[in-house]
Amino acid sequence: MVRLPRFFAKKRGDRRTGAAVWGSVGEAVFHLILVGAGLVFGGLLVSGVAVPEWRINHDFVESRGTVIAAGLARLSPRDEPGREPRPRWQPSLKLRYLTNQGVEESWAVAGSPSSERPAARQQLEGLRTGVELPCWYDPAAPQEVVLRRGYNWWMWALTLLLPSALVAFGGAGLARAAAGWGKSEERMAAGGGLGDSLTDGPVVAVDHPGVPSCEDLVNSPGTVLPFRLPTDSPESWTLLGFGLFAGLWNIVLVVLAINAGLDLLGGQTDRLLLAVLVPFAAVGITGIVVFTRALLVATAVGTTQLEISAHPLRPGGQYDVLLGQGGSGTLEELEMTLELEERATYRQGTDTRTERLVVWRQVLGTWEKLQAAAGTRCEVRATLQIPATGMHSFVSEHNSVGWRVVVQGRPSRWPRFRRSFPVVVFPPLVEAAAEQSPTGKDSR
Amino acid sequence: MSRGPEFSASAPSVAVHFSRVDRRYEPLERIDVRYLVETGGGVVRGMERSVLWYTEGKGEEDIGVHFFERMTDRAAAAAATGTFGCVLPRSPLSYEGVIVKIRWCVRVRLFFVGGRDFISEHVFDLGAVPAARLPSPG
Repeated sequence: MVRLPRFFAKKRGDRRTGAAVWGSVGEAVFHLILVGAGLVFGGLLVSGVAVPEWRINHDFVESRGTVIAAGLARLSPRDEPGREPRPRWQPSLKLRYLTNQGVEESWAVAGSPSSERPAARQQLEGLRTGVELPCWYDPAAPQEVVLRRGYNWWMWALTLLLPSALVAFGGAGLARAAAGWGKSEERMAAGGGLGDSLTDGPVVAVDHPGVPSCEDLVNSPGTVLPFRLPTDSPESWTLLGFGLFAGLWNIVLVVLAINAGLDLLGGQTDRLLLAVLVPFAAVGITGIVVFTRALLVATAVGTTQLEISAHPLRPGGQYDVLLGQGGSGTLEELEMTLELEERATYRQGTDTRTERLVVWRQVLGTWEKLQAAAGTRCEVRATLQIPATGMHSFVSEHNSVGWRVVVQGRPSRWPRFRRSFPVVVFPPLVEAAAEQSPTGKDSR
Repeated sequence: MSRGPEFSASAPSVAVHFSRVDRRYEPLERIDVRYLVETGGGVVRGMERSVLWYTEGKGEEDIGVHFFERMTDRAAAAAATGTFGCVLPRSPLSYEGVIVKIRWCVRVRLFFVGGRDFISEHVFDLGAVPAARLPSPG
């Protein structure tokens, strides 16, 4: 009797049983479906858009056609109940032309369709009956005739975008599943699969696995102390976010407003568009106000600079810190703290979420009523000490443990600000391997 | 209920003896382990022995393999006992955080004829970082 492998691993204490191959099968099937869907969509689009265009340019035979009638073809959209039908008008010409099977008469498209009948008619100006035009007909079906040839490249690109993305995503997944087929997670992590090469992990320090590199933190010298730390301020990102939102939103608003204005000039009133414009304008103006306020706060408070006597740091080490705060007003309060933060990234449904938690905090100094002299910055000094048994900085793809110096201030007349400066703490220095002890107890 | 041909009534197990009784190692120290495999009657076709760290907690699990050895020779893989060891790295140290934990372990994975595998995992500590506790409010 043959027993099927288990679909899911079974864990009992420190023991686990299962068949990893089922996971790979599931992953491969999912990505195979994506590739298949991409190929089917791509095939349909190629046969519906690309092939007809290609045939017109390669198979159709050139001839001369005489215009025998001109008119507008009515392209009726599906009528929606309770709504006035809005047809589109397609300029068309009836041609008489010579084919390999004799003289043929047929209608050909002569311009772009338009919802405005006069605009569509305008495209037919100058194309009166009796005028001779070059035309191309399908030798297999001579009643099919066109007045223009050429390729619509942007239409090709647009129609093939989605299938290409599906094929690329599914293909990459298939390659990953193939690379990991039947391999354990240890073997993959040890470099036995394609998995690692497809995803760039965080940059770690030389000879210190899991410890983030601090190269970007030591390439800027300070004015007094050896290193000036870069800021990791969320305020900058917030400001950028406000700016992008306000800019993009108002661009859309302007486009809609121009459209509405042109309609009004043409004697038409699109009530739906006008109704949408009012709340859009309110959001756009609010966006500009919020962005301007954030920009004013950011520039008025001034830059915060933090210099440190050494980097990277070590547990038990003491370091001098110099804080320089720019800006012209009085600082009612200024506080500098050292924090250790854990950060975990996880997936919840289709969302990727990151949770942060400060697990250790120490106040390095607090100051009140600081006033910088004209043209200078406020400067305060503090001593920073990493606990002797403190955890070193750690980073992996989804988890991290990070140290940082946080500066919080309350300027007079402006809202409170908060700026943080990451630092990297290496593990304690170890000179040589310790002695081995005798073999210990069982573990089962 | 009858069982497949690769397993007998007893489940497989792996006993591991650490070179330190308290399983507490320092960075750059050598770790040596001796293991005893009980296949439970199954036919072993391969074995992987590794020393690795992994994360636990709220985030997705990350893994870092420090030592890895794969034995595909059936005779060697099916041997009842064996030893392996390596010099541990400087980092990451074992860490008992609140939402992020780092654990070091010795992992022995047995591959049985028929496609199933069995993992035996034995945790040890690298370094002596005390467990994190949330700072008191205020």
